[in-house]
Amino acid sequence: MGNGSIELGELHWLLDVLQSIDVGLVVLDRDYKIQVWNRFMANHSGLPPQDVISKPFLQVFPDVPEDWFRRKLESVRMLKNRAFTTWEQRPYLLCCKNYRPITGAAEHMYQNITFIPLTSITGEVEYIGVVINDVTDIAVGRHDLEAANLELERLSRSDRLTQLNNRGYWEERLQQEFRRLKRTHGPGALVMFDIDHFKKVNDTYGHPAGDEVIRQTSDRLRETMRTTDIAGRYGGEEFVAILVDTAADGAQVFAERLRTVVAAQTVRHDQHEIRYTISLGVAEMHARIENPKQWIECADRALYEAKHGGRNRVVLYQHPVVT
Amino acid sequence: MPTPVLICDDSSFARKQMARALPKGWDVDVSFAGNGAEALVAIKSGKADILFLDLNMPVMDGYETLATIRSLDLPTLTIVVSGDIQPEAQARVIQLGAMAFLKKPVAEEEIAQVLTQYGIRGIDRADAAPVQVEVDIRDGYKEVANVAMGQAADFLARLLNVFVLMPVPHVNMIDSADLRMALGEVAAGENISAVCQGFIGAGIAGEALLLFHESSFQDIAELTQYQGKIDENAELELLMDMANILIGACLKGLADQLDVSFSQGPPVVLGRHVMVSDLLKGNALRWKQTLAIEMGYRIENHKISCDLLLLTEDSIASLNTRLQYLIG
Repeated sequence: MGNGSIELGELHWLLDVLQSIDVGLVVLDRDYKIQVWNRFMANHSGLPPQDVISKPFLQVFPDVPEDWFRRKLESVRMLKNRAFTTWEQRPYLLCCKNYRPITGAAEHMYQNITFIPLTSITGEVEYIGVVINDVTDIAVGRHDLEAANLELERLSRSDRLTQLNNRGYWEERLQQEFRRLKRTHGPGALVMFDIDHFKKVNDTYGHPAGDEVIRQTSDRLRETMRTTDIAGRYGGEEFVAILVDTAADGAQVFAERLRTVVAAQTVRHDQHEIRYTISLGVAEMHARIENPKQWIECADRALYEAKHGGRNRVVLYQHPVVT
Repeated sequence: MPTPVLICDDSSFARKQMARALPKGWDVDVSFAGNGAEALVAIKSGKADILFLDLNMPVMDGYETLATIRSLDLPTLTIVVSGDIQPEAQARVIQLGAMAFLKKPVAEEEIAQVLTQYGIRGIDRADAAPVQVEVDIRDGYKEVANVAMGQAADFLARLLNVFVLMPVPHVNMIDSADLRMALGEVAAGENISAVCQGFIGAGIAGEALLLFHESSFQDIAELTQYQGKIDENAELELLMDMANILIGACLKGLADQLDVSFSQGPPVVLGRHVMVSDLLKGNALRWKQTLAIEMGYRIENHKISCDLLLLTEDSIASLNTRLQYLIG
């Protein structure tokens, strides 16, 4: 551009650039009347310049929150300072419907908006420029990423076959619950159980049948426990559950109910009717248990006794009495 | 006989800027002081018929100095020269007996005008020698930051109708490893929300980081007369408003002084309701060393505090060149 005056030819292509650029450009005067409305705005809003020029912005777009809009523009005018809003804060200034049937992944266009004070020769803010950037792809990308991260988190925590917590995540939860109990001195119980003669199920009916038995067992566990309890698949046919705020007697009632439900059911798989039982060990939280590992060992000891006592039964771990 | 003039400012850069702006040919004997306490000593020994006084200084600030001058009835005429340009600051110093208030960076014509207005300027001497001042370039960063910060504080003060307390900005060269530590000191133990915005222009580039202390939302909402419930969305809106004002005004103040104009990228919410230690998780910092300018803002009588950090890596050369222009 030459210094001082802009020639007519130059002005023509300068305006052409403003018209053609794929960014929304609006200029408002002191009364918020629309002075410039470039092609991006016309095309995406469906309103040609002749329909909006010289009209008050808020009248043409009554859906824009007036208070918010005035506050933004007044601060820009008063402070002669640019203002930015992002799609995270307000998805859009003007609702423009998605126009791309194949790659448009959102209902509407997400917009980042910049308000720019345009000063006159006297230094007063006579006009305010509004620049609208289409950031739909960024916003959709972010939403997808967040959803993917949530799903990844869920996957990394759960067991594929049963959808119970996997051992790693369950142990994390045990740590947390153990620390909480140490702090609050409240009641809590741990139940550990496994399927009796599971190897025989696999050998007789095949592994798919064994998987079905494990799946059914986890379903019974889920149905029997409360939503606040924390269950997990600990090993092949071994399960665990932390019973929150539950003392020994309550935990025994729970274990007994689960044992009865499992013993009473019949699992059908490939014309086979499979009946099986489980053995359970219960360990109440105790002041002398120093870490989560010890707690598990107590439950494991009770489970061992249940097995040796003839299976299909519940055994409560007896904490040694200090004399 | 030359007029004894004292320039009191903690920044060597500001002292030099001030000395340069004294009217050419004015027959003066200039001395310098780094804070109010030093200034009082100089005044008592007759070195300050005229005192040019900064407000934000360590040891003894400008307000305290003015109060002491008044209570001891010391023989000096004080012109306050300050980066803190809030209307309230101006009113306070005039009330404390200052003769005039000049905004930093001060222009030669404005000084001449004040001197003429009060009939102070005596006989000019054609052969008056320019005053020599040693300048630490870090004081230069600090001074432009101080002025920019003052403009942002003024915006905030006018918009919210409050008085903003602004301490002296910190300027340091820091390693990327130190940044986390520096942030930790800014907001120890409190949850914060943070917004970043990049800026670039004329060989100077960087990012502004606004840390907003969680406990400030309620007060800010009241001051801005925010209608409706303070939910997540309202907080984000308030956070962005603060970022627009403080970052925008500060960058503009900086740009005006350096005679450049910055492009600003879109603001990015870096984290919400997080501990400052978790703020930079997942951001691989690709730089080794950066210039960090830290400005803390507090609002008087309100529980509002936020900190603005300007970080810039490759800009030192351009910055130094432009600072040199300012002090000639």
